[in-house]
Amino acid sequence: MTRHRVLQLLLLAGALAVSVLTALHIGVVDLPLWSLLTGQATDPLPQQIFWQLRLPRVMLAGLAGAALALCGALLQLLSRNELADPYLFGVVSGAALGATISSLLFPALALALPASAFAGALIAILLVLTLAQRATAQGMQSLSTLLLTGLAVSFCASAIASLLLYQADSFAANRIIFWLMGSLSHADWLAVKLLAIALIVTIVVCSLGRRQLMALAWSDDMAKSLGVAVSRWRLLLLLLCALLTAVVVAYCGGIGFVGLMIPHLIRLMFGGQILTLLFGSALGGAIFLIWVDTVARSALAPQELPIGILTALCGSAFFLLLLSRRRSPNE
Amino acid sequence: MTDTSVLLQCQQVQLQLPGGFVLGPLSFALSAGKIYGLLGANGAGKSTLLQVLAALKSPNRGQVLLQQHPLQQLEPNARARQLAYLSQQQPPTDMTVQQLLQLGLMPHKALWQADSSSDKAAMQAALSQVGLADKAAALLRHLSGGEQQRAHLARVLVQQARILLLDEPVNHLDIRYQHQLLATLRSSGLTVLASFHDINLAAAYCDELLMLQHGQLLAAGTPAEVLQPQLLEQVYGRPCMVDHSPFGQHCRVTFAPERR
Repeated sequence: MTRHRVLQLLLLAGALAVSVLTALHIGVVDLPLWSLLTGQATDPLPQQIFWQLRLPRVMLAGLAGAALALCGALLQLLSRNELADPYLFGVVSGAALGATISSLLFPALALALPASAFAGALIAILLVLTLAQRATAQGMQSLSTLLLTGLAVSFCASAIASLLLYQADSFAANRIIFWLMGSLSHADWLAVKLLAIALIVTIVVCSLGRRQLMALAWSDDMAKSLGVAVSRWRLLLLLLCALLTAVVVAYCGGIGFVGLMIPHLIRLMFGGQILTLLFGSALGGAIFLIWVDTVARSALAPQELPIGILTALCGSAFFLLLLSRRRSPNE
Repeated sequence: MTDTSVLLQCQQVQLQLPGGFVLGPLSFALSAGKIYGLLGANGAGKSTLLQVLAALKSPNRGQVLLQQHPLQQLEPNARARQLAYLSQQQPPTDMTVQQLLQLGLMPHKALWQADSSSDKAAMQAALSQVGLADKAAALLRHLSGGEQQRAHLARVLVQQARILLLDEPVNHLDIRYQHQLLATLRSSGLTVLASFHDINLAAAYCDELLMLQHGQLLAAGTPAEVLQPQLLEQVYGRPCMVDHSPFGQHCRVTFAPERR
């Protein structure tokens, strides 16, 4: 990487640090940040709010944003399709189906919802990968098959979930619908740890496999002729994306648009170089979601806005603005 | 009886494509250090054959042996250290010339290895060979068609494979670079199988020629053996004359133009 690109990433990292500190400061209760961080505060209530509510929440927002944007960038590279995003592969619908089933069966069990959402997401992506693999073995184009299989599984899972909700009582339906709109209010340290581990593993794999990724993003045939074990690498990266998205969806519900929008934004700002795109997207996604969550929990405080609504709203508005300003490269 | 100079061998290779085209069955061998020209009309199966030899397509029958090892059983990385492939058309990319060449070095690198100073020297040398020494930082898509082709050729050279499979390597190149490239290949001592449309260029630089028609090997041998007027007319559908080039003893083919 050139010095120029390192500088761009450092700039984003700086912006992330500022965002984290600001987001920690903003909230219903004013917190004495400095004394909390240095351990000088003695009052237990602000301590509790800070360590058990606000810090895990801001961290989860950052990690979830980073995970979704990184997955989006990776999937766009792997599928060579600028419209790919983590939600295209049936992950969210699978998670929604899992969540629906668990709220109907065990409405009182708090942990059942994220756990079954996670299971649903993983089952959906494994189903997509297996079906696509089988179709590809019969000679179909692997990339479009993958996307189309994802869509089909997605529709199927949402149909079943809708059917169950239609038959269910309105309380369960409300719960699921609110969960699908996305919220970070269930943030805890377990979620932060799980997501951090999955994110670090993905970043390490991407850094080590940067040349393989570059070849895969270029063309399957070129990658093969350059000695890349194409199907093995693609499977590994898709599974990591599935894992990351499944954790995010299980804890935060449906947060759309981040995975699609942030990589585009980074590409427009910094160009399409692979490592800049991946790490820039991760940093940009973290910044974006931290700010959106801060707005979601403070705009109508003490009421919370579902974060998925906000990401979709600001996301689409911002995106349309960018598109209208963008000049095509031929002009 | 095994010939130790044989690097790559096709044994009764047959491949049926979805559109109904059948390549082969083909049997031939490529010996070390020779330059082979692959000739044939459009749709004769030149690109398909090169893709089979590059292990991008697996044959339905028969096998390809790389130094006595079945090609399909080799690990991708080990294969790429032996075989470099240049496709006829390069998919578009956001890469710089430098990054393209780094991909060429990939088969020799462990995941965690960065580029060493000798790698950088090798990349610079390959770029000089194709006349792009000052374009390392340029984006590929900002280069002209000929420059892009030369950059891809530099990538093939930097891969340090013993066998180069080149699908129309002189595509987009001007006359000067066509000759420069083929001279570079001839002096490299590598084994090359390259497809051509320009028969005279192939005759001037290749040790042997393979003539394909409808997926079958119609003739193979030295340019003088293969370039027979009757055979050429059969393949290309035009009457022609074969004589010697004034610049050497190699064959020169002149096709009769269509009457006005």
